[in-house]
Amino acid sequence: MLARVANNLFWMGRYIERSEHIARYLNVNYFSSLDAPNKLSQSRQFVLQSMLYMVGDQTEDLSVELNEEDVLYKIGLDIDTSYSIINNIKHARENANSARDLISTELYESINKFYHFGLNYPVGSFVKNGLYDFTVNITEITAVLRGKIRGTLLHNEVYALIMMGMNIERATQITRIINAKYNDALKAQGSYGDKFSKSFEWTTLLKCTESYDMMRRLYKKTPTSISTLEFLILNPNCPRSVMNCLNQVYAHILILDTSKHYNKNSTAFLVGKTRSEYRYKHIEEIEDNIQSFIENILNSLGQISQKMEMEYFNH
Amino acid sequence: MGKAEHPIFSFYNKNPDLYDEIYTKGGDIKEVYQKLFDIYGGHSIKEFADLNKKARASFFNQGITFQVYGEKESHEKIFPFDLFPRIIDANEWDIIERGSIQRSKALNLFLWDVYHEKKIIKQGIVPLDLISSSNNYLHQMMDLDPPGGIYNHISGTDVIKHTDGKFYVLEDNIRCPSGVSYVICNRTALKRALFGVFNHYQTHTVTNYAENLLDLLETVKPKGVDNPVCVVITPGMFNSAFYEHSYLAKTMGVELVEGKDLFVENDFVYMKTIRGPLKVDVIYRRVDDLFIDPLEFKPNSSLGVPGLFAAYKKGNVTLANAPGTGVADDKAVYTYMPQIIKYYLDEEPILSNVHTYHCSRPDELKYVLEHVHELVVKPVDEAGGYGISIGNRLTKNEIEKVKKQIKENPRKYVAQPIMSLSVHPTYIDESESFEQRHIDLRTFTVLGKDKEFVLKGGLTRVALEKGNLVVNSSQGGGSKDTWVLKK
Repeated sequence: MLARVANNLFWMGRYIERSEHIARYLNVNYFSSLDAPNKLSQSRQFVLQSMLYMVGDQTEDLSVELNEEDVLYKIGLDIDTSYSIINNIKHARENANSARDLISTELYESINKFYHFGLNYPVGSFVKNGLYDFTVNITEITAVLRGKIRGTLLHNEVYALIMMGMNIERATQITRIINAKYNDALKAQGSYGDKFSKSFEWTTLLKCTESYDMMRRLYKKTPTSISTLEFLILNPNCPRSVMNCLNQVYAHILILDTSKHYNKNSTAFLVGKTRSEYRYKHIEEIEDNIQSFIENILNSLGQISQKMEMEYFNH
Repeated sequence: MGKAEHPIFSFYNKNPDLYDEIYTKGGDIKEVYQKLFDIYGGHSIKEFADLNKKARASFFNQGITFQVYGEKESHEKIFPFDLFPRIIDANEWDIIERGSIQRSKALNLFLWDVYHEKKIIKQGIVPLDLISSSNNYLHQMMDLDPPGGIYNHISGTDVIKHTDGKFYVLEDNIRCPSGVSYVICNRTALKRALFGVFNHYQTHTVTNYAENLLDLLETVKPKGVDNPVCVVITPGMFNSAFYEHSYLAKTMGVELVEGKDLFVENDFVYMKTIRGPLKVDVIYRRVDDLFIDPLEFKPNSSLGVPGLFAAYKKGNVTLANAPGTGVADDKAVYTYMPQIIKYYLDEEPILSNVHTYHCSRPDELKYVLEHVHELVVKPVDEAGGYGISIGNRLTKNEIEKVKKQIKENPRKYVAQPIMSLSVHPTYIDESESFEQRHIDLRTFTVLGKDKEFVLKGGLTRVALEKGNLVVNSSQGGGSKDTWVLKK
């Protein structure tokens, strides 16, 4: 496979995944704030700031009053903001376009519909009353795309590259979401007992990652800081957890790299090493210093991405 | 009953001066179209409009689109598709197929000659000026022998039917003719919308193009290569024909590359894969001559591969089509086609040429200047229908402008009588009805070492604007599925 096209497939996976997480973050935060138990969590300014924090836009001066429609437009449909959902969709399609001869007609057609859905969404109704409809559609279409990737492609290098892109991106976005909600939990302390560990924001965090029901099923208790983080970071059975993503990345790098003994400079080696590191971590280690955990994992994911670039995309 | 409930053919206006493909001279439906006419006629206007809408949405969702370049920005458009197919019976097709192969072979021999001994010029059959003043003649190709002896591996021949019921060739396209992917898409779209119609006709398939193309590419592999690695090279995804490039690569199962994916080392060509370099043997190139190698041609081209031409010259890689074929599909060379066919093949042309006046000849220039109002004037070296003026549609001022242009550079222009392209019922949105529209046909001929193949179908292009004779997609043309019937 061409190195350039491999790179495009990897990024196609990343952009599809990214658009979904941003869409869900907007949706869940906005709607769960409407009847949140404390004043700060209910405040519109608090929610809008959290949204901007999640997409990494900290250029806004926190003392300036944010306008809801402006923020939603900026993150949703503004083609002039690099992180907007519409730009992620555009990039996903552009990358799919250049690999069009390698992916299935069915997958391409779905990505193309995804693009036209985003492009034709009326801006006026999106910022006024379309947030729910738009973001739910985005998350549903991305689920369809995942189905087409799994069900219509040969499970070979093409598939492995897309899956690696998706899982590296998923781990990255989950970590970013943990970071943003951790930040919110610090600001909006809970109303009884240990105010931080029992913050309402942990529930929101689980919903943002579509993991709330699974978590309740497993722990059978109201989410706390420690149980939420354990579930989202270390539980290998939670399909959104960082651990699960690392397992997936590992499984797919094995399709690309079939050598029996790894070269210590290879991507496969680095992925294996990072995965082992998290496999034998326990939550107390992380909870002590969430901030540095977040930095470390983002750093590791960045390194894996860079390694792939050097090993596979840069010929 | 409202208009929408009427049968779809109720408002078909037949202009008796035009050659309508579905009617006989006597005004009856041709036998071969009768069944189709009955089936379509059974649909109401409303039903048909719905089918039409669905077919279009299907093209759009599949991303079967092309870019139209304006002055400032380009737009993504669907190639308009008409649901009423064109039928070519076995006897008519036989003429077209033999005629297309004949022309492709003659052009191939002509190209070998003009890049080697130039016998046809020395013997005074075509003037030297035809070659020496052509922008598309590449001196780099002199005395070079392309693998398998083939220059024009893929040719697109544009054929029309005139009011006399005879086929004429309007032009030969032997650089990078495009459109073949639409032939297949049109068939798919028609099957999805109206599959029942196929039960009544024995139609040849069009899906075997890619396999024939790959076979061809393998027949012209460089010497000493067993299993050639073939690729398609595209200028990139912003090219108007990118869909076609990706379609061909996908259906042949070969890589679609851009110039930056290839490099040349020791006069061999390699592509950059995730496992390092892989040697490439045959390149089906959809990049124009002057852009394929910045070291040899346009130095600022970023679409090509530095050193590619040197590798080609050494015989280490095959380019299809060969560079320099443009010299033979020039509209001035076209006018000598009957002589060219006679000279190399000793045959009479199977498909007729339209009579052409050369503005480079003083007496013919004089005739053209006096008759601009009844002629089609074309620049000899433009593609895509640009720069064409049709005399009976010009105002007085425009005629003067055309005359001035011709006088400034007579070599650049040829003129032909206005041919009336045949018409075919075409669904028109605005009137919600079928109307007569002019059509042509582009056939696709594949020529290899001991191999020849014409796709049994071809692209029927439709000029969607009433009375318009220019069918090119860049000029707002659409297309129809084209059925070649089995004997």
